[in-house]
Amino acid sequence: MRITNNMLINNMIGYINSNLGRMEKYQYQYASGKKIQVPSDNPVVAARALKLRTDVAEVEQYKRNVEDATSWLELTEDALAAIGDILQRARELAVDAANGGVKTPEDVRKTKEEIEQLKHQLVHIGNSTYSGRYIFSGYKTDKKLLNDDGTFAIDVDTGREVINFEISIGDNINVNVLGGDLFNNGGDATAGNTGKLIEDFNKYIAALDAGDFDAVSSIINDLDDDLDTVLRIRADVGARVNRLKLTKNRLESDDLNFNKLMSLNEDVDLAEIAIKIKSEENVYRASLAVGARIIMPSLVDFLR
Amino acid sequence: MRGSFFGLNIALSGLYTAQRNLNVVNHNISNANTPGFSRQYTLQNATTPIPLYDGTGMVGTGSEVVGVKRMRDQYLDYKYWSENKTYGEWLAKKELLAEMEATFNEPSDSGFSVIFEDFYNALQELSKNPADESVRALVRQQGITMAKYFNSLASHYEKLQADLNQRIQIKVDEINSLASQIQQLNRQIYISELDGNTANDLRDRRTLLVDELSKIVDIQTNEIVVGKLPNGEDATRFSITVGGHTLVDHFTVNKMVVKQRDANSRLNEEDIPNLYDIYWEDGNSVIIKGGELRGYLDIRDGNDGKAGVDGFSMSPSYKGIPYYIRKLNEFVRVFAKAFNEGQIVNRDGTVTKILGHADGYRPDSGAGDTTPAGIRFFTMIGNDGNPMSSADFLNLGGSDIYENITAKHFSVSFDILNDINAICTSSAPGEVENKDVLDSLLKMRHNTHMFSEGEPEDFMKSLVTTLGIDSQQAIRYTKNQKTIVEQVDSSRMSVSGVLLDEEVTNLVKFQHAYNAAARMITTMAEIYDTLINRMGV
Repeated sequence: MRITNNMLINNMIGYINSNLGRMEKYQYQYASGKKIQVPSDNPVVAARALKLRTDVAEVEQYKRNVEDATSWLELTEDALAAIGDILQRARELAVDAANGGVKTPEDVRKTKEEIEQLKHQLVHIGNSTYSGRYIFSGYKTDKKLLNDDGTFAIDVDTGREVINFEISIGDNINVNVLGGDLFNNGGDATAGNTGKLIEDFNKYIAALDAGDFDAVSSIINDLDDDLDTVLRIRADVGARVNRLKLTKNRLESDDLNFNKLMSLNEDVDLAEIAIKIKSEENVYRASLAVGARIIMPSLVDFLR
Repeated sequence: MRGSFFGLNIALSGLYTAQRNLNVVNHNISNANTPGFSRQYTLQNATTPIPLYDGTGMVGTGSEVVGVKRMRDQYLDYKYWSENKTYGEWLAKKELLAEMEATFNEPSDSGFSVIFEDFYNALQELSKNPADESVRALVRQQGITMAKYFNSLASHYEKLQADLNQRIQIKVDEINSLASQIQQLNRQIYISELDGNTANDLRDRRTLLVDELSKIVDIQTNEIVVGKLPNGEDATRFSITVGGHTLVDHFTVNKMVVKQRDANSRLNEEDIPNLYDIYWEDGNSVIIKGGELRGYLDIRDGNDGKAGVDGFSMSPSYKGIPYYIRKLNEFVRVFAKAFNEGQIVNRDGTVTKILGHADGYRPDSGAGDTTPAGIRFFTMIGNDGNPMSSADFLNLGGSDIYENITAKHFSVSFDILNDINAICTSSAPGEVENKDVLDSLLKMRHNTHMFSEGEPEDFMKSLVTTLGIDSQQAIRYTKNQKTIVEQVDSSRMSVSGVLLDEEVTNLVKFQHAYNAAARMITTMAEIYDTLINRMGV
């Protein structure tokens, strides 16, 4: 084949261009740390990158949901603990009264006053809020569960008004304890009615008013029932918090895994790229040097 | 023959021949870098010898140059033209697809996946606190961001389509200009060659113009012998056809014109109005099968072979701008319908009804409100340029109101823009923490029945990946085709290119011939000197 000067020049330009093209690609990869810039660089990597980014972002959102659910449930746990303490104290007083520990009218008045205070405290706890929302009010978190006299202020359907937080795809956790369940021994709350828990305290106060210590001793059984209810709910909430902890651990390891996969999928190995750039640079220098030697001389340089 | 001064004439012809050869070498060297130039060479003969009638043979009379030809392999030209059109087509597609890809901006921190993610994260936050106004404002804002993303994507594509339309007009002008220049060269070449010469440099220029033309559009060239010239050479006519119709025929040229389509005769539903169609001056439409123009048309009109609006014309079966706009429209229509109405259209055409935004109750509704608020979260930008309210949107009519929505006009509804409490999360009145509706909306994100591609994100991912694969294909084809074109061009250069070493060698060769011929004259002069001045005196 006859090789002409312009062929040499064109080829040299072509070679150097493709050389520079590769250098540019490696330079981008080095500077950005990513294998691809646009999907056409590698559609498979691009599709996986999009999927993994979604996965990572979703896991992060679920982690935030788990944290919020945990703090809601921890607040509920505190409220339940306080109710348990109140019931314990009320029971102690009842046992004391039933066993003749309360004799003088002054003692009775003191006991009654304390019980009234405890009831007031119960109403207060029944209206606990989590960032401005009444936690025992079912779906109506903008409204108080209990009136000051202890009657229910709103209807709460225990079977239905369950607040769920999504903590994984298709996996929900119930974060609220329903007012009816807690204050009406597993039943619903109906506006205007009084739940069993408050009713027991009302009976307690009435018995003390009447000085009927037999009635007071029968209250002990009622209070035991109430304590059982609170314990049942506490155990349930505790189990939920526990489940949240496990979920959180799993999400954290998911997060780590997805990030690792994402990195494997789209991040470059800097050392490898550095070596490639170095090698391309050598090729570039070599092709420039060779080009310079090939293009410069012609027969003219040697005549005369 | 023993003419005394005959030797001087032979020497003189040698001088002339050497000089003529040196001029051709000179011309070659001057044009070593002229694009399209083919090296020239002389046809050199010994002049007709004179017979001696005494049986001693014939005596030579010197040399002459009878012609100057160009080194050219016509086959390589044809080959170049047929490969160049494919190169032009893929090059055009490659550049345009790269631009379209950049519009999607994926993978990045500001592409669809991130925007969609943010929207759904805002809904997740809302699900934990449905009554919180600051979270509601966040949901509204992310909804607006998502709508705006589609608006800007669709607008960008429409703008690209308009730009492309301009480029098509420019390319048609270029074709016409090249055709006129070729026609003029045809005339000059024909006239120059009437007396039997070869118009080397004019032919080179014509080939160069055809090279240029072959990249823009697919051409067939022909040099037809139409008879004999007075000197016995073939009389030829050069013609170029595009899609079977003559562009240049010898001295005549048929130009192409662009005509705007009527506003109501679009090819694709998604097209912007008044796109150009390409016609011949005689009114027939131009059939374009290759070249940059084909690339431009495929991207401008390509709707994956879908039938046109008129029902009988077909769009190019390539995924161009209308295809992507159509897919974006499909996304916003299906997504808005599912999100607003809770209607998931299954593959068999049946509709699965789940809770949608329109089934929700406002957080400030009272227990007495017995019907849902009926607010559509997503509507469209109306003719007045403002987002429509749900009521106006529902009044649009048509068999499916969601067919009215386009990606360019996708919007969050006026109700929600106006009042953040219009975001309805509850399935019952007066229950702020009830989020049955919101849960249903959240579940849609992973509803694999929403699109035939699967979940909403799968749909968009598959769109981006399709574009990526097409773009990658265009890049590869361009690269391969470039190699082929360069290979053919290299072969052409191998045949026709100027090799300076060769020319300089010839220079030395002819210089020596010239010197020798001059020396011959000196020798002859000395002979005559002897003969005239010294003999017999």
